[in-house]
This record gives sequence, C-alpha cells and structure tokens, in this order.
Amino acid sequence: MSLQTVSQSAVKNCEKLGADEAEAYAQKTRTVEVVLERGEIQSERVKVNQGIGLRFIKDKKLGFAFTSSLSKDSVLTTCRNAMKLSKTSLPNPDWVSLPTAAKLPKAPTGIFDPEIATLSGNEVLDLTMRAYNAAKECDKRAVIDDGKFSAFVTEVAVSNSHGVEATEKSTLLEGFIVCIAKERGQTSSMAFEYDMTRDIKFSPEKIGRLAAEKAVASIGPKTGESFVGKVILDPEPASTVLCYPVVSSVNADNVQRKRSVWMGKLGEKVAVSQLSIIDNGLLPKGVGSSSFDAEGVPCQTTPIITKGVLKGFLHNSFTANKEKRKSTGNASRDGYNMLPTVFISNLIVEPGKKKLNDLISEVDKGIIVRRFSGNVRTDSGEFSGIAKQANYIENGEIKYPLKETMISGNAFQTIKNIVDIGSESRPTFMRIYTPPILVDKINIVSK
Amino acid sequence: MRNAFIVCILKRELRGVFFKMMLDVMVKCLEKSVAEHVEMRHHRREAFTVAIKDGKVDALNNGVVEGVCVRALVKGSWGFSSTTSLLEKDVLKALRDAASLAKDSKPQKKRSARLAEVKAYVDKYVTPLKLDPRKADKEELVSLVMDTDKLVRNFSKAIVSDNVVFNVIDDDLSFASSEGARITQRIVRCFGSVLAVAREKGNVTSSIEAIGAQSGLEILKKTPLDEVGKVAAERASKLVSAPVAPAGVFPVVLENRIVGLLAHEAVGHCAEADLVHGGSFLANKVGKKVASTLVTLVDDGRYPNGFGTMKYDDEGAPTQKTVLIEKGMVKGFMHSRETAHDFKAKPTGNARAWNFEFDPIIRMRNTYIESGDCTVEELAEEIKEGYFLKGGLSGQADFTGEFMFGTQEAVHIKNGEFRESLRGVTISGNAFEVLKKVDAIGKDFAMRIGLCGKEQINYVGIGGPNLRTNVLMGGAAK
Repeated sequence: MSLQTVSQSAVKNCEKLGADEAEAYAQKTRTVEVVLERGEIQSERVKVNQGIGLRFIKDKKLGFAFTSSLSKDSVLTTCRNAMKLSKTSLPNPDWVSLPTAAKLPKAPTGIFDPEIATLSGNEVLDLTMRAYNAAKECDKRAVIDDGKFSAFVTEVAVSNSHGVEATEKSTLLEGFIVCIAKERGQTSSMAFEYDMTRDIKFSPEKIGRLAAEKAVASIGPKTGESFVGKVILDPEPASTVLCYPVVSSVNADNVQRKRSVWMGKLGEKVAVSQLSIIDNGLLPKGVGSSSFDAEGVPCQTTPIITKGVLKGFLHNSFTANKEKRKSTGNASRDGYNMLPTVFISNLIVEPGKKKLNDLISEVDKGIIVRRFSGNVRTDSGEFSGIAKQANYIENGEIKYPLKETMISGNAFQTIKNIVDIGSESRPTFMRIYTPPILVDKINIVSK
Repeated sequence: MRNAFIVCILKRELRGVFFKMMLDVMVKCLEKSVAEHVEMRHHRREAFTVAIKDGKVDALNNGVVEGVCVRALVKGSWGFSSTTSLLEKDVLKALRDAASLAKDSKPQKKRSARLAEVKAYVDKYVTPLKLDPRKADKEELVSLVMDTDKLVRNFSKAIVSDNVVFNVIDDDLSFASSEGARITQRIVRCFGSVLAVAREKGNVTSSIEAIGAQSGLEILKKTPLDEVGKVAAERASKLVSAPVAPAGVFPVVLENRIVGLLAHEAVGHCAEADLVHGGSFLANKVGKKVASTLVTLVDDGRYPNGFGTMKYDDEGAPTQKTVLIEKGMVKGFMHSRETAHDFKAKPTGNARAWNFEFDPIIRMRNTYIESGDCTVEELAEEIKEGYFLKGGLSGQADFTGEFMFGTQEAVHIKNGEFRESLRGVTISGNAFEVLKKVDAIGKDFAMRIGLCGKEQINYVGIGGPNLRTNVLMGGAAK
C-alpha cells in the first residue's frame, strides 16, 4: 500500500469518527549510516523509520496521535486515540481551519537522486573510508575522533479533509568528521567539517582534508588579549550566532505572541544595507527544498530582509489564519510524531563579492572563528561562547591560533555592525545558506 | 462505567502477555542464530504530552514508537539491524542482516571486540510508581498544566507569553541474549517545563526551568510545576530590563541546579571509557589528583528516581554507583562490556541506546558532585567581587576538558553580599582547573533532568550542591 493511500484512508477514518476536519502526515525514511568513533568504525546501520501523525479537530479541539506502525489496525487505533484526545482537550479559540487545497508548484529540481536512494551499507562505508583516508593522508598529526556518514531517502504524504493531497520523495547525503591534531604531547581542540547534498556529487575527501587542516591549524594556541573588535564568522558560526535570532524573530508565531523584538517593525531598517535574506523553499537542490510544506501548502520564496530592511515574516496555516492571510508554506515538522511549527525552508543570506582571503586582508586587528561552542538567546539576541579553531588576525594576516577565547555580543546589534559579507556560501545543518561574515564591535574575551 | 474499568484492566494484563510473547519471539529467533554472540532488544515507547501556549491548548498528544533490534558479534566485529515490524520473519531477517553486516565490515575494522563476563540475568524491573500515568485522568492533567500557565502569565505585567509542557514517556524494554539473559524493564519518566517570556520597552527576554524524575505522577506533588513556573516568571520579569553580566575571570558560586552541568559536561564525558580510550583528559590519570580534595563525583545508575536510573543497561549488565573522582582523585571510569574487557575492569552498566534504532554506547546515568556543608550565604561570604550564577542552558565539552555551558542569571556579589541580578552568560574553562579551584561546597543538593547528545540522545540525571570556584565569563566588555 502506498504512503498516500495510508494517509488518505486515515483522514477518512477520522471523519467517520466524527472529526470536523482531520489531517494525516505519513513519512518513511530509509537511512544507511556509518558511525566512526575514536577513528574506528563503530557501527553500520540500515534502518527504516516510518510512521503517521494525525490531527483530529472537533469543535476547535485538537487531538494529535502518532504511531510507528502503518498497519491498518494500528492506524485505526491511532485515529481513535486522536479522537479521544480531542474530546479531552479544550477548544483553542484561535483555531480556524486546516489548509485548503492549492495547486502545487513543480518539484524543485535535483532533490531526488536515484543513486543515493539505492546506496548500500558497503557503499556508504566506502564514502566514510575515503574521508577517513583523506584526513590521514593530509597530515600525520591529524587523528579522527568521530564522524558519521548518512544517506537518507524520505517519502512524505500529506492528506487532509479539505482536499490537500501531496506526496514527494527526496534524498539527502550528509557526512561529518571531527578531527583533532596531536603534536609533542599537545592536543588541539576538536575541529569539525561536514558537507550535505541532495545528489551524489559529494566529496568525502574534501571533508576529511578540511577537518585535518583545521585541526592542525589549531595546534600550539596562544592566549590572546581581550578587546572589542572585528570577527570573521565562518558560515557555521555565522548561521548559529547571527541567523538563529533572525529565524526566531521572523517566525510569525513568535511575532504574534509578542516574543519577537521585530514585532511591529516591518518596513524598518534592522541591519546594514548590504544584508539581504530570503527564505526559498524551491531552491534547486536545496537541502530544505520541497514543493510543499509539512501541511501540504505550496512552498514559495519569501523576502525576509531586503537591503537591511525587514520585509516579511514566515507563516504556517495556523499563524496565517490568525491574521486572515496566506501561509508562506513554512510549516515544518521534525518527524511524523511532531505537530507542525513554523520554520525556515532554505534561509539564504545573499553573498557578497569578496573571497575569504580578501575579508581577512581587510582586518587590521581581529579574529576568525570557525566553530562556535556557546549559547545564543534567540529571543533577545545575546550570544556568548567559546571561539573554537579561532585565529588572531593582525594587519590582514592570520597570526596564530587562540586558546581559551570567548566571544559575546548581541545578534540584533551585530547585524547593524556588519563590515562585509563574503562570496563563498554553503549550507549549514540548520538549512541556512551563508557565506563568511565580517562583523565589528564584538567582545573578544581572553583569560 | 464498570465495564470500561474491566476492559482497562484486561488491556493491561494483555500488555504483560504481549511483552512475554515478544521475548518469546526473540528467544525463538536467537535459537536460529549462527553468530557467536547476539543481543536482541524490543522497545515500545509511549509518549503523552500536554502543551499549553499562552493559555490555549496547543494539542494533546499521544503516540507509540515500537521496534526490535539485533546486535550480532561475528569474529570480533559488530553488526546491527533494526525493524519496526514485530513479525517473527522480520525479526529473523534483522538477525540475518546484523550478522552479515558484521561479517562484511570486519575487514575494515582494526580492533576486535571482546566482552567482559556478565551473568545472564533473568529478571523484571519496573520504575517504582505511586500514581501510574497509564491510569491517570488526562483531563485532570490538562487542568493542572492550565493552572501553571495562568500563574505564569499573571505573575507580572512584563510576562507576555509562555509555554507550559508536561510529558510522560513510558518505556517497555525487553532484552534477550544468546548467553541466556531475559530481562524486561518498564521505565516511566514524567517531566515538565515552563518557558516564560517577558517584554518591556522593546526588550525581550525569556527564562526556562524544568522538573522531572523517573517516577509516576507523584512527581507533580513533590516538585509542583507551579514552583518552577514561578522561578521562570520571576527571572524573566527581573531580567527583561537588566544588562548582561560582564566578561572576565571571576570567583563564582554555581547554583546547585547548574552544578550538574559541570559534573556532566566537563568531567563526566572525560570519564566515559570509550573517550578515555580515545585519549581524553583522564586517560592514564587513575589514582592521580585532578580536582580539589573537596570534590567527589559519581555516576549512579541506581539513584532513586534519577532520570537515568535503570536496573540493567542495554547490554544486560546491572547498573551500579560508580565513583569517578573521590576527594579529588581519579577512581574509575564508566564502561560497556567491551571497554570493561579492554580496561580489565568490570562493566558498570553504562551501555545505553536511545531506542531500538541505535546500538548501545557508553553514556552517563545520574552524574553528580557530592554535598559539603556550607550554606549559600557562607559560599558568598568570601567573595569580594563575583557572581552567583543560576539557571542552566545548554553545554558542551571537548575531551580535553574544555567546557562551556550557559547560565540564565548572574547575581552580583559584592563583599560577600548578593546585589543586583544581571542577564546570565556562557561560562567556560578547563574543567579540571575549575575543579581544582573549588574551595567550598554547599549542603543544598539538587538533582535535575537532562538530555545528552552523544551521536544519539539520552535521558540523564545531573546534580550537585552549590559550590564556589573560578570561571571565565563570556560577557559584556567593561
């Protein structure tokens, strides 16, 4: 039985049980993964994760139930559970309706690669070994601490009482390596490198080599001085430190619930003119691309910040209904066992013109941070944490690796203090595409 | 009504029968195995959630995730396979897959896994429960969570939004091995959290606090959700217009509710035998002094109501209290059967898997620093210029011992007295330097719940008393 047949019949069952409206989100993911631990293969897993989550609505009362079994009996029991929960629940006065059917755009190109879909355990093991060997060959001092390579094939089907019928298959290949370097009794900090793609054009060698290079470059760190100044954030820390608070503040649920500092600020200047950010659910080969969101609503492109001016918020159908407007197709779920929330599809920071080396050459005194181990308060924008694989920069040149250095600041202030944006963009694990970003007025704290 | 009650009892008994059957299916499959050592686990996880947002029920949520996994050892190489099907033929297929994966990956593996001896236990364990959530009146739970939500939103004018969540995670686990182990465990965890958001003159801040334990619903009487709701609401209201704490190295008192983060992140991970093997800070340090003599740090798999408590681990080894650091000296590590063999030690019951989709790896259970005898005022007394850090956020550590974790609130201490509250910042340092600088330990102990991610996530308990030390605070420039 196809996934779509399962979701359709679940909706019908719920309707028979008296639902005003119902929705089924069914998902099946096949994962092949190889885990490296202490430089050894720790495990190899082939697993199929599947299940269905049901929203049952009666008199504005919502019950949600899920099961990992797609058998007819289990799904029927789950429909009944959802009904019982809805009876026990209290009405939500903000509830309007599940989304109605709309014409879906064509599936974004390059989100399904049959080659990834059929990768075997041994083939993923081979990719892992290629990364592993590349790290070792790159530098003798590099030691692999851990890593994981995974190939996913995901099929999703969404159905609801208002005629939404959406189904799609996609693939994803991702891998990461954590490397440390050892020299004369000294151990470097842990260096992290990764990549993720929708198609098989994937270079495990590059992941291994870059992880080793980063680890080796952080051997023999020195304690720097404390100052307020310039910091180059690599894509990974840039997305954590600068983009997470942006993502949280343009989430319409947070805006409506007065949690966003950008409530009521549409049209206002919130960042430097050089900063433009869009959410694009249809990005070709995008790691977060799909023709529809987790409620079956068409994906689209939504401007967030245009030349420093706040342009838009992201909605799912619930937040959109509250304002009697259209959803932006940003309903998101972490799995069939979760209710939809609002989240980005692919968040894209518009790249600038300069290569990383040109950004470095612009810095008279500052640091570059390649990993951020810390906390970001997404509501208030405060961030503080350890600058990992950080180097001191003076007169446009990288001088030495830093130890025990922390950075802190406020993201909403910092996006007004962007000096320059790099050109080399890449996706991060949060589905954020960003190049390195050079910012100023950051607290750089050393012991 | 009476009939409904009977059906309910019958269903529960049937569940018991069902798990016995699942164990039988696994045992039957085990008989057909050709691998030298096989472990099979069945795991059924039932989750129930009440989530209230700003006074409105977001959803009532309930579901089941269930499956079986097989781990087979063939000539020192592990293979693993899992399935969500409970049919004998599919379990057998998983068994064959695990064995063939073990064989196929053997040439790529340098080390050969060998296991320390463990008695093949035949036993049953159930979380001690006074109020079994399976029998609970769900409407009552909803209204209880609604009450906390009301209290939080009415706490002050500044509070504009909240999330109040209560969860029950009810696990049925069976374990069978080719050595003859037959273990069933039911582990029930109840936990809740309150996130309060305050807004004033365009400033926004939030605070989060949680309660929870391995327990029945009686946890809500012992540590009411209202109590942490008040803490979160009060903190958010107080800090909404407060500045951020300053940067630099300061003497600090760490609140008991966050000391567990230090025990877990900074020290605990370095004492996991797999990381020790990989060269963590504690490698080759048994018997050596790494912390102040005031510090005794343990991982306890039997801590009453601990979030990480179980009688047996996912390799069928019994759990225990393992002393990691005694009076500043390294005593031992946490082991799986495999590392115990390599270290010539005894398994400590720390091999854990998140669910049936994962093979067990070494994880902490309930990790804490033992109490001393100072009051929190006595701890502050000696501090001329420092901070009382409260309210934990997330943390991380390298195995060199360099750690960080976030704090929500920094109460200024001036000449031994508590002054104004500032917004908390992330703190960092080398764990063992920080532990060497511990010069006083408090008597008020707190154990709390945590979620740790090490390739796979898991529930852990983290605890300790208030204590005094020095840390680097990543705050605002002076």
